[in-house]
Amino acid sequence: MNESFPRRRHPGISRRGFLGLGASAALTAPAWSAWAADFVTLPFANGERPLVKYPQKRPLIRLTTRPPQLETPFSVFNESLLTPNDAFFVRYHLTHAPPPPERLTPEAFRVSVTGQVATPLELSVEALKTRFEPVETVAVLQCSGNSRGYFQPRVGGGQLGHGAMGCARWKGVRLADVLKAAGIQSSAKQVVFNGLDTPFLPATPDFIKAIEVDLAMTPELLLAYEMNGEPLPWLNGYPLRLVVPGYYGTYWIKQVHDIRVVGDEFKGFWMNPGYRIPDDPCAAVAPGTTPKRTVPISRMNVRSFITSVADGAEVRSGVPQRFRGIAFDDGQGICEVLVSVDGGRHWESATLGKSLGKFAFREWTLDWTPQGLGTRTLMARATNRLGQSQPLEPLWNPAGYMRNCVEPVTVTVLRS
Amino acid sequence: MNRLHLLLSGVPVVLASVLLAADVAVEPVRNPLAGDRLELPKDEPVLKAGPGAELVRSACSSCHSMDYVITQPPLTRAQWTANVEKMKARFGAPLSTNEIPDLVEYLEANYSPPAR
Repeated sequence: MNESFPRRRHPGISRRGFLGLGASAALTAPAWSAWAADFVTLPFANGERPLVKYPQKRPLIRLTTRPPQLETPFSVFNESLLTPNDAFFVRYHLTHAPPPPERLTPEAFRVSVTGQVATPLELSVEALKTRFEPVETVAVLQCSGNSRGYFQPRVGGGQLGHGAMGCARWKGVRLADVLKAAGIQSSAKQVVFNGLDTPFLPATPDFIKAIEVDLAMTPELLLAYEMNGEPLPWLNGYPLRLVVPGYYGTYWIKQVHDIRVVGDEFKGFWMNPGYRIPDDPCAAVAPGTTPKRTVPISRMNVRSFITSVADGAEVRSGVPQRFRGIAFDDGQGICEVLVSVDGGRHWESATLGKSLGKFAFREWTLDWTPQGLGTRTLMARATNRLGQSQPLEPLWNPAGYMRNCVEPVTVTVLRS
Repeated sequence: MNRLHLLLSGVPVVLASVLLAADVAVEPVRNPLAGDRLELPKDEPVLKAGPGAELVRSACSSCHSMDYVITQPPLTRAQWTANVEKMKARFGAPLSTNEIPDLVEYLEANYSPPAR
């Protein structure tokens, strides 16, 4: 499952180096230092996080405990193009999440399709598997607020580094096939999805998301029961989750059990005012200002990362290096990654690796032999088939969504 | 195995084989969740000690752990006030209006940028 990435760490880079911080770490003892086995420091103010082991997971960067939000250590993205299930990030919204295992067994779990349909359905996962054609897709799942901690000025919300993303091979059935079996009515406007996670207070809005019928009927959307050849992990939606390739993770409802076809626009907190972006092609406003109009967040923008060297790493002058990284977008397809080793003065085209699908992480590599001594700023910038690319400077919006600027990495060239 | 042997010693051989067969037959449908110990870690981080810490903990912790507070960037008094008011208005936190200044007082004193 390692696809084209060999398991290799860049020599001489510690975990601390990988996370991009040296001297400014650990100025004050964090509240969890008494019991966390290990912790890391993300490179922004108040970025200390414990590494904690959860069921079916290796130790991950914990943002919050209840409900759980876990981030993938960035070094994982250099291990393989498919993010391993035990390293895949976790993000729940409501107090009672993930749902208790006894509600998720094959005997207990059912997904229903109701509302503006000819024949309401109630299906077990086994029934989905036997009644509908199985399909697979490799797709990136990314949190709307991935990299929020880097926003300047800072904004409230989950203070994530770059690890609230991952790429997996999802297997399931087409949502469109299930909706066709239920007989979707011509008056239908949206399809509404609810998972088994619930709030503590009755007054807290349940986490429910809606998409347009046209999107729901495209063949790319899946009701997925497998991830990288295994049942979904408990914390990633076992036994069933929605997969919306190209769209931010907020729509990928976990433990999805209630699908309703409605004739109006669904109005729930998590569609409005939650998860909104400025109604502007860049989804941005001047830092510190409020957008005049907002729309629901939807498709992902273009991103790329250098994965084989971390900020602060040391390389040897005259010794050939092969840099590597990943790029992705919303499914238009990455067609070029330009790399600079001199802070953006000159750019060179990187070699793209094998495509795992238009929604997947795309590997890129570039050979470079550092010359001279001193610091060098490395940059990667991807472009997709529509010509969409990444800004050199970060854009800003009040919720801290959709960061996609070029992420520079500074290395020091030492005498060999 | 030892317990089974003890249990079955002296039982006629025919009956023993029936018991063993029944044992095999009741194996449940395979459930991928069953093999794992599905328990979330229970330790939760605690707020900095100080006047108002217990008020914040009791007002907020039925819905979420305190790392929701602790991991925020340094926020101004106005930003903390907006957050607390959002918890009441949007998420239904049962806060009385006169509790809000005390909550904000603690959050600002402990989790805001140092005065310049």
